[in-house]
Parts: sequence; C-alpha cells; structure tokens
Amino acid sequence: MSNIQEFDCRPDSQQGAESSLHWSYQNQKPRSPGQNPGVQIREHALLGHLTLRGGAIVLDEAVRDVLGTTLPSRPHAINQNDAGTHSIQWISPDEWLVIVPGGEEFSIEAQLRKALGDAHFSIVNVSGGQTVLTLSGEKALEVLMKSTSYDVHPLAFPVGKGVTTTFGKATAIIRRPAEDHWELVIRRSFADYIYRWLLDASAEYGVTTS
Amino acid sequence: MTQQNRLANGGLIDRKRQLTFTYNGKRYTGYEGDTLASALLANGVDIVNRSFKYSRPRGVVAAGAEEPNALVQLGATESTQVPNVRATQQALYEGLVAKSTNGWPNVQRDLMGMVGKMGGSFMPPGFYYKTFMAPASMWMTYEKYIRKGAGLGRSPTENDPDTYDHLHQHCDVLVIGAGPSGLMAALSAGRRGVRVILCDEQEEMGGSLLDSRELINSQPATRWVSDTLDELNQLDNVTVLSRTTAHGYHDHNFVTLHERRTEHIWDRATPANGRPQVRSRLHRVRAKRVILATGTHERPLVYANNDVPGNMIAGAISSYIRRYGVVPGNSLVLSTNNDHAYRTALNWHEAGRKVVAIVDARPSPKGTLVDQARALDIRIISGSAVIEGKGTNRVSGACVAAIDPAAFKVTGKVEELECDTIASSGGYSPVVHLSSHTGTRPQWNSEIPAFVPGEVKGMTPVGSVTGVFDLKTAFDTALSAIDHALEEAGDTSSSKVTEAPQVDAIQEGPCCALYQVPHTKTTLRAPKQFVDFQNDVTASAIEIATREGFESIEHVKRYTALGFGTDQGKLGNINGMAIAARILNRSIPEVGTTVFRPNYTPVTFGAIAGRHCRDLFDPERYTALHQWHVEHGAEFEDVGQWKRPWYFPKTVNGKKETLDEAVARECLAVREKIGILDASTLGKIDIQGPDAREFLNRVYTNKWAKLAPGRVRYGLMCKDDGMLMDDGTTSCLAENHFLMTTTTGGAAGVLEWLEVWHQTEWPELDVYFTSVTDHWATMTVTGPDARKLMEEVTTDVDLDRESFKFMDWKEGTVAGVPARIFRISFTGELAYEINIQANYAMKVWLELFDKGEKYGLTPYGTETMHVLRAEKGLIIAGQDTDGSVTPEDLGLQWAVGYDKPFEWIGKRALTRPDTSRKDRKQFVGLKPKDANVVLEEGAQIVLDPNQSIPMAMVGHVTSSYYSAHLKRGIALAVVKGGHERMGETVYLPMADGKVHEAEIVSPVFLDPKWERQNV
Repeated sequence: MSNIQEFDCRPDSQQGAESSLHWSYQNQKPRSPGQNPGVQIREHALLGHLTLRGGAIVLDEAVRDVLGTTLPSRPHAINQNDAGTHSIQWISPDEWLVIVPGGEEFSIEAQLRKALGDAHFSIVNVSGGQTVLTLSGEKALEVLMKSTSYDVHPLAFPVGKGVTTTFGKATAIIRRPAEDHWELVIRRSFADYIYRWLLDASAEYGVTTS
Repeated sequence: MTQQNRLANGGLIDRKRQLTFTYNGKRYTGYEGDTLASALLANGVDIVNRSFKYSRPRGVVAAGAEEPNALVQLGATESTQVPNVRATQQALYEGLVAKSTNGWPNVQRDLMGMVGKMGGSFMPPGFYYKTFMAPASMWMTYEKYIRKGAGLGRSPTENDPDTYDHLHQHCDVLVIGAGPSGLMAALSAGRRGVRVILCDEQEEMGGSLLDSRELINSQPATRWVSDTLDELNQLDNVTVLSRTTAHGYHDHNFVTLHERRTEHIWDRATPANGRPQVRSRLHRVRAKRVILATGTHERPLVYANNDVPGNMIAGAISSYIRRYGVVPGNSLVLSTNNDHAYRTALNWHEAGRKVVAIVDARPSPKGTLVDQARALDIRIISGSAVIEGKGTNRVSGACVAAIDPAAFKVTGKVEELECDTIASSGGYSPVVHLSSHTGTRPQWNSEIPAFVPGEVKGMTPVGSVTGVFDLKTAFDTALSAIDHALEEAGDTSSSKVTEAPQVDAIQEGPCCALYQVPHTKTTLRAPKQFVDFQNDVTASAIEIATREGFESIEHVKRYTALGFGTDQGKLGNINGMAIAARILNRSIPEVGTTVFRPNYTPVTFGAIAGRHCRDLFDPERYTALHQWHVEHGAEFEDVGQWKRPWYFPKTVNGKKETLDEAVARECLAVREKIGILDASTLGKIDIQGPDAREFLNRVYTNKWAKLAPGRVRYGLMCKDDGMLMDDGTTSCLAENHFLMTTTTGGAAGVLEWLEVWHQTEWPELDVYFTSVTDHWATMTVTGPDARKLMEEVTTDVDLDRESFKFMDWKEGTVAGVPARIFRISFTGELAYEINIQANYAMKVWLELFDKGEKYGLTPYGTETMHVLRAEKGLIIAGQDTDGSVTPEDLGLQWAVGYDKPFEWIGKRALTRPDTSRKDRKQFVGLKPKDANVVLEEGAQIVLDPNQSIPMAMVGHVTSSYYSAHLKRGIALAVVKGGHERMGETVYLPMADGKVHEAEIVSPVFLDPKWERQNV
C-alpha cells in the first residue's frame, strides 16, 4: 500500500456539479451594464487545482516533465504552458499552485507522484475549494485598487506575476496571466462575498458577468 | 435678493450661470464657482452662526479649511444631512440647502446669547464643569439644554443612500497641496516619469496663485496654473485629485486622502450613464516620498471684540475679492504686522471701496507693497494696531492706538475710525498639522515667527510651509526637493529638467512679532479678545487657566478647549501659545505646541467605512449546501464568519415553529430515526509526509503511533500552557497521510499553529499541511436508521457493523460521487460523516433526501447538534472550555499520553502542581432538581445559598439545554473539585432572586455505555 492515499474525488459524470458561485448567480440580481461596461467578470468554473509543496530543486524536473512548463522559482511568478491551459504559480518558498483543465487533476497528481518517487513533497487536490475569476475591461485595475492594498499598478505588477493577498476583508490570489486581463483565485466559502464585492465595486463603471 | 457685495467683473466665477440656494430657510442666488461662504458674503449675510459658549453672533472669518465660524448643516433631505460643513469649503450648487449649526431658536435671535451677554464674565473656563457639577444626577438634564444651545450640527436619522469607497494607491511622489510649490514639484516629478499623485483640498487647484496679484512669465498667475494642470492631466503617470484633503499622515508615509467626488454637484451622488456614482472616496496612499506643500494659514490678531462679524483675516478678503468677485464690506481698516497683508488693502481699493487706513504695528514699514499703498494715498498708521472693534452684529468702527508689542502696552491715544470691516494679519503659520500627525514636533522659526514642520523620514516640505513666503523661492525649493528625492531613490535622469518660471521680485520688509494686541485695560477687564473662535476661548481664559495652575500647554488646551473640535487650532493655536508664553514669561518654543492629530478636517463616516458596510460589512462564508438551507427556511447562526443553519423551523398548522419546538423535533428525529447535518464548516487539514505521525504525536496530547490506515482517533490539542486549545478527529488515510479536523472557529488558528511549530521548532520533520476545509463538503447522517439510508446510496462500501466499525473510515461511492465515509459520531448515535468534493455536494445531498424521505430524514442545525452532544457530555472547545481548562479538568485523561517519548506541547505545563490540584474547576453534568428548569449558561454555582454576599462561587454553567429525549433540562458546568462531588447538590442564585438547585452528575446523561453509536 502506498504511503499516501491517492483519491480521485471527481465523479465521471459532471451532471449536477456546482461551481463555488452557483448560488450567487441565482441570488444576485442581473446588473445593467449600459454602454461599454468598464469591467467584465467571468468565472472559469470546475478547473483542477492542486497545491504542490516541496523543495524547488526536488520538484523542478517533475513539473517540467508533467506540466510542460518549468517550476517558477522567483517569488510571485506564474509559468504557463504555451496554450495557457496549465499554469503553476509560486505561492511561498515551498508551495506552488497548479491549475489545470477540470478532470486532469487526478492524472497529473498521479504523474507527478510517479515522477517524484520517494522525495519528500505533498500534493493536495483542492479543486472543490476554489474557483477562478477573470477580471477584464478598462476599469479592472481600479476595481482591484478598491479591493486590495497590494500595489497592482502595471509597473509593480507585470504580466506573469501572482500574489496571495487581501481582498476586501477576505483573501484572494491575484494573478496577471496576460496584458488584457487579471485572474482571481478565490476560496469557495468566500466566493459569494467576493462576487458581491466585485459587482458593487464595479457598479460605477458598468459591469457584465458570464 | 440682490448680491449687493458682488463686483461687476473679476474673479473666477461664471456670472452667466446663476445658482439658487437656501440658507436658514431663505432663498439666495450665487454663481457657479462660488463657495457657500462667498455667496453668503455676496448677499451681505453677516451673521452665519452663534458662538459655541457665549452665543455671540459670528460671521465668515476665513476662506478655507481654517474657517472656525461658518459651520453649516448641509442637506436637502433627512438622509443627506451632513453636519459641520465649512461654508468656505462647500461649493455652491443649484438647490443647495444649508442651515447654521448653532443658534437656538435661530442665529438672529438667540436665547443663549442672553446668557453670553449677561453671564459672559461669569463664564470662566471650566464654567460648565464647575456650575453643573452638582447634583450629579441632574447633569443629564443640564446637558440636554446645554447641548441644544451649543451643539455643532447633528447626524442624520435616516440611512445614507449614497455609496463610498476606498482606493489603495501607491506612488513614488505624493504632493500634498497644489499651490505654486506643489504644482511645480508635481510637474517636475511628472515630467521625469515617476508615479505622482497631486492632491488639493480646494475646489480649484492653484492655492495662493488663485488670488495672487503677481505675474508669472509676464502672464496672470492663473494662466500658469491652468497650463501646468493641463500638462499634468496629460501625463499617464500623474494622478490629479482635486477636492481631495490629505487628512491623516500615518507611519511609513501612509497618507489618507478624502476625495469629495460629487458634493459640489448635488445633495446626493447622482448616477452617471445610469450607473451609481461614489459620493466620496478614501485614498489610502503609500508614498515613497511625500512633498508637503500645504502652505500657510494666516494668523488673525487678537484684539478686543475681534469676533464681531466684519472682522476677517486679511488674506481671506483678498480671496473673496479676487477669486469670487465679492467685497465683503464698504470701508476697511487693515491691522497688520507684515507687508504681505498690504495686498488686501490694494485689492479692496481696486475693487472701488474705501480703505480707511492700514494700521501697521511696525514703526517704519517699507517695501514694494507699502510703496504701492502710499502711491494710492492710503493712510498708513505705523507703530499702531487696532486694539478694539466696535459694533455688535456688524463692525461699526475700529479703535486704533500706538502700541509697544514688546512691553505689551498701549503707548498712544486711542483713535476711533469708522469702518464696517476690519482685516487683520498677524503673520503666517505654516500648516504643520500633517507632519505633526507622524509624531514629530514642529520646530520654531523665530524669523517668521511661527512653527515649521519637524523632520519626517521620506517627507520634504516645500514652499511657504517651510517659512519662506516669496514665490521664486517656492518654485526653487520645489524643484530641488524633487531632484533630491528622486536622486535618493536612485533616479539620476536629468533629461527633463524643469525650469522655474519667471516672477517679479517683490521687496518685503521683516514682520514684527505680534499676537495679542495690548488694550488700555487689562486682559481680564478689556472686552473679550478671542483666540479660538470655534471653542470661544479668549485671551483672558488662557490667562485664568495659567493662574489656576494649568501651565503646560496641553493642560491649557484641555482646560480652555483651545484647539479642540473640527477646528484643530488652525487659527488660534499659535496665538494661544504666545499668550500663555507671555503670561508665564517663557518663550513660545518653551511653551511648545499641543499635538495635532488626524483628521486635519472632519472626514465623513461613509468614507471611513467605504464599501465595508451593509451586506459587505463582513464576509459571510457559505457551504456548498447553503442554497438548500436558504430554500428550506433555515434560520442561520454566525459561527466565525460562517453562516451555519441554526435550526430548520417547519410550519405546523400555519404556525412557524419556535427555536425550542424545532430543536425538540430535530433532536427526537436523530434519537429515534435519522437526521442530517451540514458539517462542512469543520476545519480540515491534509497532512502528508514521512514524519506526519510524529508531528501529530507532538501537537496532540494523545498517542498516534499505532493508528492504522483506515482508523480515526479523537485528539486533544493543548497550548504550551497545558490548556485545551482545540479538539477534533484525525484519520489515518495512509501510513504518511492524515486528515485532521478542527473546530469550525479554530480552523485557521490551528493551521497557523501547526505551521509555526513546524517552521520554528521542528523544521527537521518532513511534513506538509494544506487546508482542505473548502474542498470537502461534509454531511453527517446520524440516527438509528442511518445505515439503512447509507445502504441505499452506496453500492461499493461494506456497511456491516463488524467490517465498518466505529472510528473506521472507508472510501467509496455515495450517490455516484467518490466519497470518504467516516464512522465517527458527535451525537452518540450511529453516524456516518461523508466527505464529498464540494462541487458535487449538492447532488449527493439531494440524493440523500430523495432516498431518505421514507425514513423521515430530518435536517438539523447547530442548536440540535449542541443539545445532542450535550446529552452525551461531549465538549465544544471554546464553549465548555475557556483557555483555562486542562484535558484532565475535562475528565479526558484517557486522551493524554504522559509516557510518549517526545515532549508534546503542553506536557510540561500539565506536570506542574497547579494543574494537578484537586480543587481545580472540573467538568461535570448538572441535573436541575426541577426537571423543567433550563439553567442559564454562565450562571454561577455556589455550595451554600445562605451564605452572605459576596458568595464563594465554585464554578459556572458552560452549556445548558432542554433535552426533549430525556424530557428535562440538562447542563454542563465546571465546578471546583467537581469530579469528587458526584451526587452533591449545588445552588445557582439568579439575578431575579430565585435560587436553582441542581445535582452534580456525570456529563454523560444518555447511554453511559456508548451502545447507541455501535448499533
């Protein structure tokens, strides 16, 4: 028996699956975006999320082999594969967040475990516990400035950066995977609060959701 | 009403756009570009308020933030009321409605004024304290009327309909103040490409340049202002914030700015493009460098009756004439100790009104402006000052006499000049408030003479706040401050050197020190000489305070109220200090300043709260099943930030169940049939690593060496003081893999606790912790019929009581979804805790109800959970424990492994004599003698109800409920030596005089052999 219990907690059927914001969508009255809304919010629901912990030197090769991208060694860096479907983000000196298309998380965990062998590391599937929002539009930056005390100005927050920080009175991972949009990785239990916060903070600019 | 004081032309107002407003119920007109104060002055409104203590009539004195009198209550509707708005800072808009904040029943005819007039000399400092001290019980009555008479505005009684928010800003250079030096600094920094924020509290940017007589590059100064602002607005790296007050300067260059975004437009924030707008915004700025360009406040002179309407500070009159095209009177006497104020007389003269005289305290004034006044044949009375103003509701004359400031006496004959306006200037006090917020003390500069900002790391003062008042120096210091600041920050690019514009040199003579003007009578006998208008503090009050022994300036402040209120001593502080210094025979720097604190001017609560209000006040955490709970009528309980279903009231015969009824029904369902609980909020921590087991051994009190994969164990966690901190079950998932559960409220704290011990004490242990609280939804199916339901929803799990034992866990499929199932019980009944990946939880939950209906599956909430566990004597950490309870106090010594090889957390503390005392408060059950009594949680326990008060209290009730199953009240408690007192009777005296009787029993009220959970 393996020393770790590997457990695929995702059922084959996705019928009845509910993202962290399932209820919020029904509960929040639709916004009137008006002309040229300044903010767009979009959820990337039901992705695979893995928390990877271990030493950088231990993990690097396995990550490269399995994810097709190198382990970001600089603090706050995110690396993505070319298609942008798989990403890995530096969270702390021995912690990384891997986000992959929904359904791949268990096989990626298994591949990483195989590649890492007896090394000391941990991989934890946290897919049910968080979701990803993208924030775009010309006022997205202002909405972030309303929400976090972290400096999100493009000079201080270039593409390829991501941080775990305060968001309203909750926390979120704020990432900038590309020039034209931001990503928020938020915890399931705080998702409704953060969603309501975003709608409220964006109201003056006009906001669409999808 | 006509605007009798409005000039036909001139000023920065737009005469084509007339605005109507209401002040104290009367309609007036003004123009776009006016402030409320300038519009009132234009309309000849002399009295804008009644003074705080003496109820004397007061008029507009200043033109900016330093205005002490013209405080208004703004707002057209109840919900939009804003108290204490300075009329000098409120832009006029169409339909503005304002009232004076003071004056009862109104400003013109004031009852309290009689008190001031007749009792004025009987109202020394401390009057209210001294007079209304006794009897103490009457103070509430006195206070009501005193407040009504004195009050400074009122808060609205309805909710504010507008929204407010915060914006977090970061910049290289924050420039506070957009006068000449601030604009110059912002332009220079902006051109060099660094991140710049420029803020200014006024309606328009430009500061002193808005009413300046001087030319810049041979053009009017306002032209340079608009050119500079145009360029700044073009620059992407520059944020220009107008109507934005820097109100607090905190540690590490963290500065808070209050931006009023819509208050110049209307009573409420009007939507734009159908989108709600933010009324005001708090910018929380972290600046690498702060450029302090806050300028100066002109000091009024302190002379007799200097508060009668028509007395103004000189610079304010210049502002009204040159910015707003308003001359607030017909004939002017100017009393000054400096050249700069001569501008006021020149402006007044140019406006076509009469300058009666310039009274200059200096024996032989000379300089460019003095020459200009002489050339206009304006009478200059040198070596003299206005020693007293005449008039009651408006100035009617000025008494002028030769004085000797150093000797503090009048040296010549008194001449009375007829006039309706007295302008005074006692020099210019740098606005040191913000720099002082940081804790640094301002420094005395004897040349100006006034205080200048003390040193603050990362802050550079520029312009007149440094005590240098000429325009050329203002520009030069601003440029060099930026060069220096950026050089320090490592930016040596000089590619975009900015040059100072050309200005004409103006020769100004030195000023002389003059604060309080001597009178022919002594200070105590002369008419009142006001120092602090807002708090009605006079020179004689300061003198009395020092005589009564209040010598420290901080004591003088508190005894007289000098510098209190919204005013924060902007006009009066230096004068007050100078008077105290003169009386105490000390120098002003020896007397020192009081401490200026945030906020510089009042900030509305809305801006402070920002978006953190109403349903966004605090995060509400929801489980994956929250929607179902809402749809099924759950009442919710706050557990930390979580919303947990408290109970699920049913409607029976058209009547909704009460808490007690619902809980009784839910409890019986679990005891007799089957119930289900959403336990998703329990903290869950995934622990992996070869040393995971060893780590558990060290953080828990009990043993983990032999827990086999597939088994679960209850664990107690102590702090290093040996007191219980948290409890929960931990399951061995595999040899190096565990799943720990914590209490709902303890989840984040426990994870942090584990990380702290791992990172600081035992880094050699190979183990990692990851929170999976949100990843797993947890449903507890419990009751005698639990197995029946489980059999229907699982196909691949052997549920036989022998093969799936109590404290086993298994992996399997529930309702088609992979699940971990734990046979643990917090109810004492047969129970299965099912962990499902949260995205699929609702599907499983619905399936459980689908199949469970026929068994009477009943959802229950936290209240029922509490009752059920209390019937079994199971503790809740944080309710039955309070940080002073050891595992042994709880009777849980079976879960403490003293013989474990490693020193686990809390062991040392638990081997102290104190933790093994026999008379410690110990956890027991209480059975009220009267079965219907439900004891009060928190009730104190005594052994003898007849002892005299104070009684010796031996413990208290920690949990108490009515048990529907046992048909009686039950309670859990801690009692001194309780474990040895089984069967004894204790008493609980209540506040209403009743004394309850209860028997000490085992906390396990039901099923002492623990058979029900093993059925």
